[in-house]
Amino acid sequence: MSLQADNLCKAFGNKIAVDHISFDMNEPGVFGLIGTNGAGKTTTIRMILGIMPADSGSASWNGEKISRETLAFGYMPEERGIYMKNKVLDQLIYFGQLRGMSKADAKKSALSYMERLEVSEYRDMQAEKLSKGNQQKIQLIATLIHNPQLIFLDEPFSGLDPVNAEILSRLIRQLTDEGRYIVMSSHQMSTVEEYCENLLILHHGKTVLKGNMRQIKAGYGHTNLIVSSGQDVSAAAEACGLQLLEARANEMEYKIKGDEMANRFLKKLLDDGNYPTKYEIKEPSLNEIFIEKVGSDL
Amino acid sequence: MRQIFIVFQYTLRDAAKKKAFIISTVVILALILVLSLIPRTMSLFSEDESAGSVEESANEETEQNGSGEEICYYIDENELIPSGQQALAAAFPENDVRPGETAKLEQYRKEIEENGEISVVSVTEQDGRPHILVICKDFMSGIDSQLAAETLGNLYTQTQLMEKGLTREEIAAATEPLPLEEEAAGQLDMTGYMLGIIFTMLMFFAVYYYGYGVAMSVATEKTSRVMETLIVSAKPSRILIGKCLAMGVLGLLQFGGVILFAVICCSLFIPEGFQLFGATLSLNAVTPYSALFLLIYFVLGYSLYAMLNAVCGASVSKIEDVNSAMMPVSLVAVLGFYLGYFTSISSSGNGTLQKIAMYLPISSPFMVPSRLLNGGMETGEMLISIGILLISIVLLVIISMRIYSASVLHYGKRQKIWEMYNKKI
Repeated sequence: MSLQADNLCKAFGNKIAVDHISFDMNEPGVFGLIGTNGAGKTTTIRMILGIMPADSGSASWNGEKISRETLAFGYMPEERGIYMKNKVLDQLIYFGQLRGMSKADAKKSALSYMERLEVSEYRDMQAEKLSKGNQQKIQLIATLIHNPQLIFLDEPFSGLDPVNAEILSRLIRQLTDEGRYIVMSSHQMSTVEEYCENLLILHHGKTVLKGNMRQIKAGYGHTNLIVSSGQDVSAAAEACGLQLLEARANEMEYKIKGDEMANRFLKKLLDDGNYPTKYEIKEPSLNEIFIEKVGSDL
Repeated sequence: MRQIFIVFQYTLRDAAKKKAFIISTVVILALILVLSLIPRTMSLFSEDESAGSVEESANEETEQNGSGEEICYYIDENELIPSGQQALAAAFPENDVRPGETAKLEQYRKEIEENGEISVVSVTEQDGRPHILVICKDFMSGIDSQLAAETLGNLYTQTQLMEKGLTREEIAAATEPLPLEEEAAGQLDMTGYMLGIIFTMLMFFAVYYYGYGVAMSVATEKTSRVMETLIVSAKPSRILIGKCLAMGVLGLLQFGGVILFAVICCSLFIPEGFQLFGATLSLNAVTPYSALFLLIYFVLGYSLYAMLNAVCGASVSKIEDVNSAMMPVSLVAVLGFYLGYFTSISSSGNGTLQKIAMYLPISSPFMVPSRLLNGGMETGEMLISIGILLISIVLLVIISMRIYSASVLHYGKRQKIWEMYNKKI
């Protein structure tokens, strides 16, 4: 199974929202669609789903055009769209029925997902009485109720507290283990970094970077050094030409120009009798890569 | 088709549970109950009145024989109509008819300006004949000028004839009014007329109330972003049709329930043969034939305006903009209502305006049912009118679905209708 987007373009009046976006996803997992607000992520997803016509280009699932009729995909929009005045279970059954399920199947599936996401107690409550995080979970159940193979999650983690974020993380892992294909749009880099093997960074509708996450990072080489020590390391770092990126409570992060610079710094620390408790040479974070690619316009 | 039914079912259940719907139904039913109890209450009062009529008439007599609260100054300084004051006093027993003076006419005028219970009857000579001037505060108060003129005129004629040598008997025989007898071969039946007006009003209420419901329902789904969840499952056109159907059926159910309740209340509480303003209340004007056409016009009229309102609801990004978006449709509905209403109650039959109102889709749902209940419609005319209405609805459905599909995922600045229509979907 594979998802392919080929040269998708969309303009609203004179504004080009999406400019020749192409990517493919050939195995189950999570694909990251990254960009700032207004970068064109939602428009791209809508075009792939066929709910918004593309000016040019196409999208296909297993070589066939995606539409409501041909593929029972799941889509969780960025803006939460549930009936606030209606009871949770009633509306989930309604969404399931619209997806072609029988009432009994929709109810069974809704209750099953409610249990997995720990919201069973709210089944007969009006959605407006739920917290934002729980409303988000209900929205997610509406997306997954018909057990789609291809799932689009637009900013799934926004508004979730750490406990609920962990529950969602667990579910996403379970879904990928079950062989589902998930396209996740986000501007939270840590989230994407955690789940996505492949990604595409959008900026003003254009692709600025795409590919495998590990390969992209490897391409940048070792650029960061994290040091934690009981003694001050700043004099040694300055002497070795390291540039301070961030001073945190228990550690410092420096920008380095390759492994040789890091090794020279370590040798100086040891020579000075300063023994670090943490010494980690790493690739740049996705956040840094993102800022480097689109930062000049932010 | 299945999706339309699912949307229909969910929307119907949801709308029927809404407080506004429940409250409006209860209020209408309570109103019908109260109205149907009025005739019985009125008849109870009339029985009480007849029991106490002897006492009341005695009181009235006392009041009339007294000094009287209303004053009428009678001025006839040249004695042009002898015994005019006495004749007026006899004709207006509730008035204290007093002699007045021409010199005080201005003073009387000022008094009359302040007090509506004072009037003046002045007789002067003009062209050799008596000229009668009646002064009252306004046409609603004071002495009845027509009756005053008639009384004095008759007296003057009698005086003139007596001067010519006629005896009282001859004069009485000559001036006696000719006998007049009026006979009504049937009972006054205004029910068709009244039911027609009621149906036209209810039709407008349905168009406005349920149309507003459709617009609000669509706008709520769009602005709350539920539409984004729905639209990946069902085509916008199916959502639109399901919603409009649900609100229409809800309206029919509410109307049906209200009419059934009204019929039950009428049969239980309204006395047989009860008359309102001289007209017997009955449902004779409603036959199976007319009921069928009333139903057709209700469904078609509602459908026409529901489609327009759905587009209004879909064109907004904020719920508070719904009313302003509905304004053009509301204006069209008001125009259609007034055109239909006035042409249906007009007595000018088959004028050009009536023909226009009969065939114009925006006014025919208001006009034809009312005319039908009054027996002023032919089947052929109605079939043409329904045909035009159907064609208009089909065209409107096509246009509305296109506009709706193009606008449901548009947020931000409100789009113009042609922008939405021309949008690629």
